[in-house]
Amino acid sequence: MAFVLDKINKGFGGLEVIKDLSMQEEENRIVCILGPSGAGKTTLLNLMSGVMKADSGQISGFSGHSISYLFQETRLLPWKTVRENIDFVLKDKLPRHQREQTIERYLEMVELSPFASYYPARLSGGMKQRVSIARAFAYPADVLLMDEPFKGLDTQLKMSLIKSFIRLWTLDRRSVFFVTHDIQEAVLIGHLVYVLTDRPASIKGRIINPVPHEQRDDSNAPELQSIEQAIYQLVTL
Amino acid sequence: MINSSTNNKIITALSILAMLLTWHGLALLIGKEYILPTPAQTGLSLLLIMQSQDFWPAVLMTVGRGLLGFLISMGLGIILGMAAGFSRVINWLLRPWVTVMRSTPVMSVIILAIIWFESNLVPVVVAILMLFPIIYGNVVAGIRNINQEWLEMARMYKVKPRRIIAELYFPAILPYLLAGATTAMGIAWKVIIAAEILSQPTRAIGTDLMIAKFNFATAQVLAWTVVVIMISFVFESLLGAWENNLTNWRR
Repeated sequence: MAFVLDKINKGFGGLEVIKDLSMQEEENRIVCILGPSGAGKTTLLNLMSGVMKADSGQISGFSGHSISYLFQETRLLPWKTVRENIDFVLKDKLPRHQREQTIERYLEMVELSPFASYYPARLSGGMKQRVSIARAFAYPADVLLMDEPFKGLDTQLKMSLIKSFIRLWTLDRRSVFFVTHDIQEAVLIGHLVYVLTDRPASIKGRIINPVPHEQRDDSNAPELQSIEQAIYQLVTL
Repeated sequence: MINSSTNNKIITALSILAMLLTWHGLALLIGKEYILPTPAQTGLSLLLIMQSQDFWPAVLMTVGRGLLGFLISMGLGIILGMAAGFSRVINWLLRPWVTVMRSTPVMSVIILAIIWFESNLVPVVVAILMLFPIIYGNVVAGIRNINQEWLEMARMYKVKPRRIIAELYFPAILPYLLAGATTAMGIAWKVIIAAEILSQPTRAIGTDLMIAKFNFATAQVLAWTVVVIMISFVFESLLGAWENNLTNWRR
């Protein structure tokens, strides 16, 4: 197994946030971690990225890998253009000619090439989040950690961003760990869905979604509906 | 049709005209040139002092002192402000010094500087003591208010610290720095002239102002004042243009 979390515990002060959490996953899958708000999902990502250390338990597969991120906020620097924002994270990693090609390629994939020299202030919220998706994929990383990047967006925008994300992932596969509180997002994006308990977070269950992404557009498809049902039952258990 | 920018220019012109008319009216009412000369008498006096061979050396020396004081304050303010913004220890170490500088009356600073320094240097030292706390305070505030999410993003993407300072911290504090620079520039000329009046360097607008006062040449006093206002206006415009240039990403 490429990524292993074995009986992880983490608390802050007296508060237990994660308790005996274990998971094992292969590379190049999209793993959704579904849990209620405040259940410790962000803490889990911080443990994976190494920003925080677990109180006990073993984590392997992440350290030594280069990691990129998608946050709930776009976190673009307002004084840098779209191109410069992506270049900002690439500069220490790639030589110049390679950076230019990489940036062009990923901007094309999120359909923002004509906006390469725009400042973020002139882009819509959805366009900015697409830039941050392009930045996450352009960064030479094997692992992508996503912390509710579609939270608070309207349904239509969310759907179009998820499509951009899936298209990018299909062309350029990474190991993705995606935390969310939204069942619909989990159904649309994940190969696997872990359902977390309330705080302290541990694993309630793991559901496999074998439906190929190109067939997930139709949310009325019976197979998708039964998976959504299964997740829903696990969540409300 | 008149657009709003032309409109504003017309209003400004009318306002300046009203100012000159009021001045002219008051001068006529008082009727004594040594108390209040008319704008025309002041203009004539300005032309006369501009023709004297001491005019440009005095202006250049005053401007030079002002710029030197301003630039040193900017340099010190940026370096120490960043240090204090990053380190609590440095912030608390510098705090009493800056508080003393902020609360000391300008006149006390000038008098002490006259006792301690050569007359040419006095205005520069006084300007630094007055301007540095403004720049410093703004830089510290800029660093304090930096968006933590940007910093976290840069660190998670493993951007080198040197580049985080140059490409994230510096642009983020720039608006604060520019606001501080504009305030400091406005104060600089007033402080420089006050210091020159008391320290009397050989070539200085302040010295010439004082000489005019001793001679009861009130028109000359006003003429030199106009010169200072012009200098202040020129540098304010330059700073404004620079600011527009540096913050074009906002539009």
